[in-house]
Amino acid sequence: MGSSSSSLNNVPDGQQLMQETGFSAAHLLRLYERFKFLDKDNRGHLRSEDFEAVPELSENPIGDRIVGAFFLPGQETVDFSSFVRVLAHFRPTEKNRTRAGAQPEPANSRNRKLKFAFRLYDRDRDGKISRTELLQVLREMLGMQVTEEQLQSIADRAIQEADLDKDDAISFDEFRKSLEKVNIDHKMSIRFLE
Amino acid sequence: MFWRRAAHGRVGFRRSLPELGLLLLATLVLLEGSVLPLGAASSPETGITPGAGVSHGHADKNHSETKHKKPFPVLGLNYDSVKTPFEISLWVLLASLMKLGFHLLPRVSSIVPESCLLIVVGLLVGGGIKLIREEVPPVLDTKLFFYCLLPPIILDAGYFLPIRPFMENLGTILMFAVVGTLWNAFFVGGFLFAVCQIPHASLSHIGLLPCLLFGSIISAVDPVAVLAVFEEIHINELLHILVFGESLLNDAVTVVLYHLFEEFSEAGTVTVLDGFLGVISFLVVALGGVLVGAFYGFVAALTSRFTYHIRVIEPLFVFVYSYMAYLSAEVFHLSGIMALIACGAVMRPYVEANISHKSHTTIKYFLKMWSSVSETLIFIFLGVATVEGPHQWNWVFVTATVILCLVSRVIGVVGLTFVINKFRMVNLTTKDQFIIAYGGLRGAIAFSLGFLLDIEHFKDMREIFLTAIITVVFFTVFVQGMTIKPLVELLAVKKKQEAKRSINEEIHTQFLDHLLTGIEDICGHYGHHHWKDKLNRFNKKYVKGFLIAGERSKEPQLIAFYHKLEMKQAIQLVESGGGSKLPSAMPSTVSMQNIQPKNQPPPPKPTERALPQLTKGREEEIRKILRSNLQRTRQRLHSYNRHTLVADPDEEGFQDIILKKQKMMELDRKIKEMANYLSVPSHPKDSPTMSRARLASGRNTDFIPAQQQKGNKKSPDPQAYNIKLPAGGVPTIQVDLASPQSPDSVNLLDEIGKAEQKEDSGLMMKPPESNGPEKAGEKDGWRDQQKLTRCLSDPGPGAEDDEDEPFLP
Repeated sequence: MGSSSSSLNNVPDGQQLMQETGFSAAHLLRLYERFKFLDKDNRGHLRSEDFEAVPELSENPIGDRIVGAFFLPGQETVDFSSFVRVLAHFRPTEKNRTRAGAQPEPANSRNRKLKFAFRLYDRDRDGKISRTELLQVLREMLGMQVTEEQLQSIADRAIQEADLDKDDAISFDEFRKSLEKVNIDHKMSIRFLE
Repeated sequence: MFWRRAAHGRVGFRRSLPELGLLLLATLVLLEGSVLPLGAASSPETGITPGAGVSHGHADKNHSETKHKKPFPVLGLNYDSVKTPFEISLWVLLASLMKLGFHLLPRVSSIVPESCLLIVVGLLVGGGIKLIREEVPPVLDTKLFFYCLLPPIILDAGYFLPIRPFMENLGTILMFAVVGTLWNAFFVGGFLFAVCQIPHASLSHIGLLPCLLFGSIISAVDPVAVLAVFEEIHINELLHILVFGESLLNDAVTVVLYHLFEEFSEAGTVTVLDGFLGVISFLVVALGGVLVGAFYGFVAALTSRFTYHIRVIEPLFVFVYSYMAYLSAEVFHLSGIMALIACGAVMRPYVEANISHKSHTTIKYFLKMWSSVSETLIFIFLGVATVEGPHQWNWVFVTATVILCLVSRVIGVVGLTFVINKFRMVNLTTKDQFIIAYGGLRGAIAFSLGFLLDIEHFKDMREIFLTAIITVVFFTVFVQGMTIKPLVELLAVKKKQEAKRSINEEIHTQFLDHLLTGIEDICGHYGHHHWKDKLNRFNKKYVKGFLIAGERSKEPQLIAFYHKLEMKQAIQLVESGGGSKLPSAMPSTVSMQNIQPKNQPPPPKPTERALPQLTKGREEEIRKILRSNLQRTRQRLHSYNRHTLVADPDEEGFQDIILKKQKMMELDRKIKEMANYLSVPSHPKDSPTMSRARLASGRNTDFIPAQQQKGNKKSPDPQAYNIKLPAGGVPTIQVDLASPQSPDSVNLLDEIGKAEQKEDSGLMMKPPESNGPEKAGEKDGWRDQQKLTRCLSDPGPGAEDDEDEPFLP
C-alpha cells in the first residue's frame, strides 16, 4: 500500500481518478504505464497518431471510431484523465454496490456502458442513430464482402425492428430496448480492468 | 397405469396384430426353451395377463406342433434367421410406443419425468420376462450400450451444442468436470472405505482401491440422464450448459480414473509414478479425444464441400464421420464422448454452410430421432437390468453410497463455485449452485461401467457395487428428477428465454465484440476478445475458404444470420399465405445461396439483382424527386401490364427502374398484408407510369387508379415508410419475388371485387375466411406462429434455439 501510493503520486490526479472511476491504485498505475507507453514522444497527452500506432487497432473495422471516442469533442489530444475515464466504462459492474442518490452514476453502470456504445454509433451526436449512420457502421464491419443492397436490406430490417416511434432512426431508448436481452455487463467488461 | 398406457399407445385396429405375433413368438420361446430377450416382446401382453399368456402359448404350441407334421410346409416357421433383427425391432417398437403413450397422457408426464416412467416400464417388462422364464436376458450389454445406444445421444448433443455459451463458460465447465469429478471420486471412495471398515457391515473384504474404483464409477454426472431431465424443465441457458457441459466433459476423467483404478486393483499397490502417469494419461485421453474428433470434423467439412451433386447422401457423411471419430477414439482408449462432441461441434459451421436445406433438416431429424429412441431404450433397459440383477443388497453400503454421493456433490459444487466466482464476470448465485448440485444425476453410464467390471477380480464386490449403483441411479433419476421441476418453480430460477435473436442484437453484439477487442488492444491486454478475434480472423482467412464451397465462404456471419432470418420469414409467409399465389416466390437474396446452391454466385446476376437494387435509400431519392411533380405519393399500380402499355423511349432506364420497383413494392406490400402489417410504402408514383396506368385500365377519369382512391381514404399520410410492426413483432422483410405473374393476376381479381377496403393499401390479399384485416391479421399472426414452428421443422423444444445460433462464435 505504501509503495503503490507513493508511485500513485506520479499519476496526475491519481486519487481523484481513483475515486471517480473506481479503479484500484494498482490498476491505475498499470493504465498509467500503458499511457506512457503509448505516448511515445512523452508529451503527457496522446494524439490520434499515437493510437494508430497500436498495430491491431488498424485491423479493427471500427478502430477509428474507438479512437475517436477517447477525444472529447473539439479536442485533439487525450490526457490521462480522459483516457482513464473512457476506460472506466469497461470495468465489470459491481453487483451489490449501493450508492446514495446524489452520487453520479458510476461509469461502468449498464446505462453508461450503453450510452458509450450508442455514442460510437451516433457520431453526429444528435441523439439518434440514423439510417445512414447505421449503414456506415455496417459498411465498416462487413466491408467489401457484401453488396450495397444487402447492406441496405440489413439496415432497413434493423431499423424496422428497433424503431418503435417510427422516426426512421434509433434513439437511445430504442437502442437500449433492443439490447435488453443481452448481458451488457458481461459483453462490455474487460476483466483486466477490475 | 401401464395397461392403460399400452392401450393408449396402440391404435385400435392394430391391436390384434402385434398381440398375435407376440403369442407366436412366445410359443417359439417355449418351444426352443432357450434364453432369449424375446420374452420381453411378449411381455406387454403377458404383463397384462401373465397366466393367460402362458396358456395361450401352450395352446399355440400344440397347434404349431401339428403344423410341423404336415408333409409340405405350406406355412413354415423360421424364426431363427430373423431372430436378432426381429427382437431388436420389437424393442425399438416398444420404446417408440411407450414414448407415444406418454404423450397421450399429459398429466402423468407433467408430474413424472419421462425417464422415470421409462424405467418403470423397463421394470415391468423385466418383471414380466422373469415371471415367464425365470431368467432375464442381459439386455444392457456393455457393447450394445457403448457402441449403439450412447453415440447417437452424444452426437445429437455435440452437433447442436451452443458453442458460444459453451466457450464462454468453458473454464467453469472444466473446473466442474475435472476437479469436481475427482473430488467426488476420492471423497466417495475414501469414505466408503472407511465405512467398509465398520466391523459388522460384512464389507471388510472391499479394499481401498476397489472402493476408489467404485467412487470413480459413481461420481460421474451422466449426460443421458441430465439431458432427459433438463430438457423438460427449461432452465436458463447458463445453468443448462454448465451441468450439461460438465456431464459431457467428465467422461475423460471417468475413463482415466476407471482404467487407472482397475489396473491398480489388480496390481494391488499404487506408486507416485502411477499417479503421475495417471495425470499424463488424463491429458492424453482428453486432448487426444478432442483432436481425433476435430480431425474427423474437418474431414467431414471438407467432404461436404464437394457434395453439391449428390445431395441425398450428405447426412450420411455427417453421421458416419462422427461415428468413426467415436470408434477411432475408443480404439486408442481415448475419450470417445469428447471425440464425438469435438467432431460435431467442429464440423457443424462448415457443413451447414455447404449442405442443402433439406439435408440440414434430414440431419436434424435423424439425430433427434436416434437420440430419442436411444434414450428411451436406455432407460427401459435400465429397468430390465435392474430386475435381472445380479444383486446383493447391503444396507450399510447402499445407504452410505447414496448419502455420500449427495454430500460430496454439494460440497464439491459449493467449494468450486467459491473458487470459480473469483474468476468469473457473472457470478454464480446460491440458487445456481443449488441447481447445479441438484442436477448432478447419475445414469446408465455408471451402470454400464459397473457391469464392465471383471467378474473374476471383483468376485464378491461386483454385486454389491451394482446394487449400489442402481440404487443411486434410481434415487437421482426418480427423486431428483421428479422434484427438480417444482423446485425450479419454487426457487424462481430463471427460465430459458424463448425469444429469438433479432438482427439488432446480432449487429450490436458484433459491434461490441469489435469494440472490446479494440479497447483490449489499446490497453495492451491480450484478453479473451483478442484471442477470439484472432481465431475468427484465422478462420475467415484460411479455414473457411478451404472448407466451404463456393461463394459461401466469403459470406460474413452477419449476412448469413440475416439470410437465415429472411429465409425463415419467407417460409413462414409462404406457408401462411392464405391462398395467394405467392408460394412460387422466393426471396432472391436468399435463394441464391440457400436454395439453389448450384446457381451462379449472387452478386453478378443482373436480372435478379436489379430488383433489390432499388432499396429504400434510392427510393427515398426518387420519391423526393417525384414528389415535386406529383401530389399523390402513394399509389399502387395494380393493373400495370407491360404488354398493354406503350413504352416511352425517353425514359428507358428510368422506366425500368420504376417498373421493377413497383413490382417489388407491390409484392412487398402483399406479403406485408398477409403477415398483418399495415404498411404504407408511400411509393411516389411517377407520372409517366401513372398515366399509362390510367390509359391501360381506363377505369377512372380521375387521375388515380381505383385502388389508390380507396387507399387514400385511410392513410393520406404521404410520409415515407410507415411500417407498423404487428402484434407478433414480426418485422417486414424485403422479399423479392421472382415471378411477376402473380401480382398482376391477383390484382385484377381484387380490383374487380372490392368495394370497400379497410386497409391502407389498395390490394387485398385477404384469405377468404377473414372478416376484417384485423381479425385476419390476428388469425394469421397466430397461424403464422403455428406454421412457423411447423414449417421450420422443429423437432423438439430446444432445437429451435440452436438454429438461431450464428455459425461461429
